[in-house]
Amino acid sequence: MEMEEEKSGSLSIVSLIGRIDGLVAPEVEQRLSSIIDRGDTHVVLDCGRMSYISSAGLRAVLASARKCQQAGGKLSLCALQPSCKTVLEISGFLTIISSYDTRDAAVSAES
Amino acid sequence: MLTFAEEILLLMLDDEDGTFLPTRTSAVEYVLAGAVLLDLAFANRIDTDERQLLVIDSTPTGNPMLDRVLERIAGSSGTRDTRAWIEKITGEDTEEIRSQALASLVKRGVLEARDEKFLWVFRSRRYPVIDGRVEREAKLRVTGVLLSDDIPDPRDVAMIGLVDACGILSEIFSGREIERAAPRIEQLRKMDLIGQEVGGAVAEIERSIMMAAVHAPHY
Repeated sequence: MEMEEEKSGSLSIVSLIGRIDGLVAPEVEQRLSSIIDRGDTHVVLDCGRMSYISSAGLRAVLASARKCQQAGGKLSLCALQPSCKTVLEISGFLTIISSYDTRDAAVSAES
Repeated sequence: MLTFAEEILLLMLDDEDGTFLPTRTSAVEYVLAGAVLLDLAFANRIDTDERQLLVIDSTPTGNPMLDRVLERIAGSSGTRDTRAWIEKITGEDTEEIRSQALASLVKRGVLEARDEKFLWVFRSRRYPVIDGRVEREAKLRVTGVLLSDDIPDPRDVAMIGLVDACGILSEIFSGREIERAAPRIEQLRKMDLIGQEVGGAVAEIERSIMMAAVHAPHY
């Protein structure tokens, strides 16, 4: 798993790359927590290169979205691959976390 | 912090007389099995997806109740999905989980174990609450999450899945509150994949019981 971060105006765009499972979910949550703690509370998770997400990965995303909201910001998702999108849909995540088809759409809507 | 099994048992108790509230048929065993899996998942010992449940770290947690189940999953051959493990634990371990969780609550000073006889012969054990703060806090967390639109904590989401599966929401909420919270309950009950499987297992057993009742011969 890798994470890449870049800025687009006030948005922090974090790319999740590879498998987000129980082995890496604590690190994902910790790194997102550091980003939010430094004041970057508007975060877009670019999931275009995320190949898998397990229940531990879902918890890490939920905890981070909660932390963003508590800090007055928002966490959104974009570019979900079909298999990951299905998991997020089945679990009802997309009813509480905004998701966009592309990174451009997310940046445009959340900026 | 209480384990999921301790917290759900506490919520299942009638505060006043220390007996267990009526719950859905067979639900308690499934819920306790799911509670242990949730504790192992939150301790980063297991992980799940829609197809399988895997051990990612077999290091003991220090809690005998959890470690017994962890050891069993780690030592099993082949892979099973979450539902299969819930059913296996339900069949083999839930009485032990229940008694260890209650013993832990007694040891923490939250409950008192009181043995009584009725009709001079039959023994029964009740668990009156002697320190209501823990239970009040658990109820407040559940109601707080269900009556707000905020993004919930993953632990609270998992707990709501268990509470809903054993059908005790009516003991925490008034009828009007449940009606108001219904869309939120529907939204959150699926959000933890293990909680989702517990709810599915309970629903399935209830369907089987209903079908058996419908097709039973009438005399």
